[in-house]
Amino acid sequence: MTNRRPRTESELPEFLGGTTEEPARPPARPMTKSQRHIPGEAGLWLFLLGDMTIFAAIMLAFLWKRRADVGGFKDAAHQLIQPIGGVNTLVLLLSSYLVVRALQAHRAARYVTARRLVVGAMGCAVVFAGLKAIEYTAEISAGHTPASRQFFTFYFILTGLHLLHVVVGTALLAAWQLMCGRRRAWSATQRVVEGIACYWHMVDLLWVAIFAVVYLVSAE
Amino acid sequence: MTKRILSLCAWCGPATVVVALIGWLIAGVLPIPLGPDSSVQEVVEFYGQTRVLVGMTITSVGICLVFPLIAVIGVHMVRMEGRTPILTFLQLITGAATGVLLLLPMLVMAVIGFRPDRNPELTVTLNDIAWLLFITPVAPFIIQNVAIGLAILNDKSQTLPRWVGYVNFWVAFSFIPDPLAFFFHSGPFGWRGIFIFWLALTTYSVFLVVMGVMLHRTVKESADLEVPPSPVAAA
Repeated sequence: MTNRRPRTESELPEFLGGTTEEPARPPARPMTKSQRHIPGEAGLWLFLLGDMTIFAAIMLAFLWKRRADVGGFKDAAHQLIQPIGGVNTLVLLLSSYLVVRALQAHRAARYVTARRLVVGAMGCAVVFAGLKAIEYTAEISAGHTPASRQFFTFYFILTGLHLLHVVVGTALLAAWQLMCGRRRAWSATQRVVEGIACYWHMVDLLWVAIFAVVYLVSAE
Repeated sequence: MTKRILSLCAWCGPATVVVALIGWLIAGVLPIPLGPDSSVQEVVEFYGQTRVLVGMTITSVGICLVFPLIAVIGVHMVRMEGRTPILTFLQLITGAATGVLLLLPMLVMAVIGFRPDRNPELTVTLNDIAWLLFITPVAPFIIQNVAIGLAILNDKSQTLPRWVGYVNFWVAFSFIPDPLAFFFHSGPFGWRGIFIFWLALTTYSVFLVVMGVMLHRTVKESADLEVPPSPVAAA
């Protein structure tokens, strides 16, 4: 029984009687190399664009609701602490710049520099989250909860979902920082590292859009 | 034979969508379901119709077609992961839970239709239970999608194309707003809202169809299932 189909069984998990060696398998799907380089990989963009579409839909719903109550939204937008939002925009733009520099450094095999830059970007993320926490505290203690009025429902949902992206992005940056620490070569990590960088740029871009729509447009 | 069964299991993914949606159309859940802001009278009238029972019976069968899909996803994930298929187990466990979490609310809705002349307050409460049970427990779904996505992206032999992994991450993300249904009694974040019911319905259907179609293709392309290889080939 155990030796009847040796090759098939070698592909089974070890506890089901498979061998402990990784069977050598040819790639089932040959890698198609497109003429022009796509940052990360094509599939990643399916995720990024899908993700941004959901955010865009929520922002559209926000603008739609605003049409019915421009005055109320304006009044509510003035309750936000615009300087914090503005500083956070700059912090994220700075982090994006650091990510670009880190990408260049990693590509040039300057691992120590790359690692420092990625850690710098993570620091920006921590500053962003800290400022966001201060903002949330100030708004909730002023009685502006997600349930208080429609503007704040959208404000908390949009910024909350975005904050979740910041957390995920920071975890990805941490993984990148470890790769730099282990001096993983660019050729082996290009796809992953570019993917992380693209994700981080998306986080930045989403914040710029949220800042523009929720903080600025509504306040006009 | 094995290949045919795997193929059949893969087709169960798209079939889940078709059968479940037909059931909902018959029940009247689609095109516009009851919402958290529906009046007591609307809810009681809805469950007074016999079509609810018929539709819910069909949907509760249709939703169970997700189980064969989860099994065939598991078979391919074992191949992706090799020696230590932890993500495979995670997918199987959470997949089983998601099936039950989808099935139970359908049964509760059928139960409501079973005795519609009860105290209206009870009907409304049961309706709330059915819908919130259906919409809010998203963690098993998210874990399942992330497990599948990670397995696909870590798979050197590319059993499934990598974009399928990213689709799984996107589907997982789209479920995140769903617990907001607890906090809203109307609007786009209530249980009937566009970012809750409609978004999750769309992306979960995308998940079932994409996984079904791509796994079917993978099964069709794989040649090593039918004939056991000779011992010479292993040497």
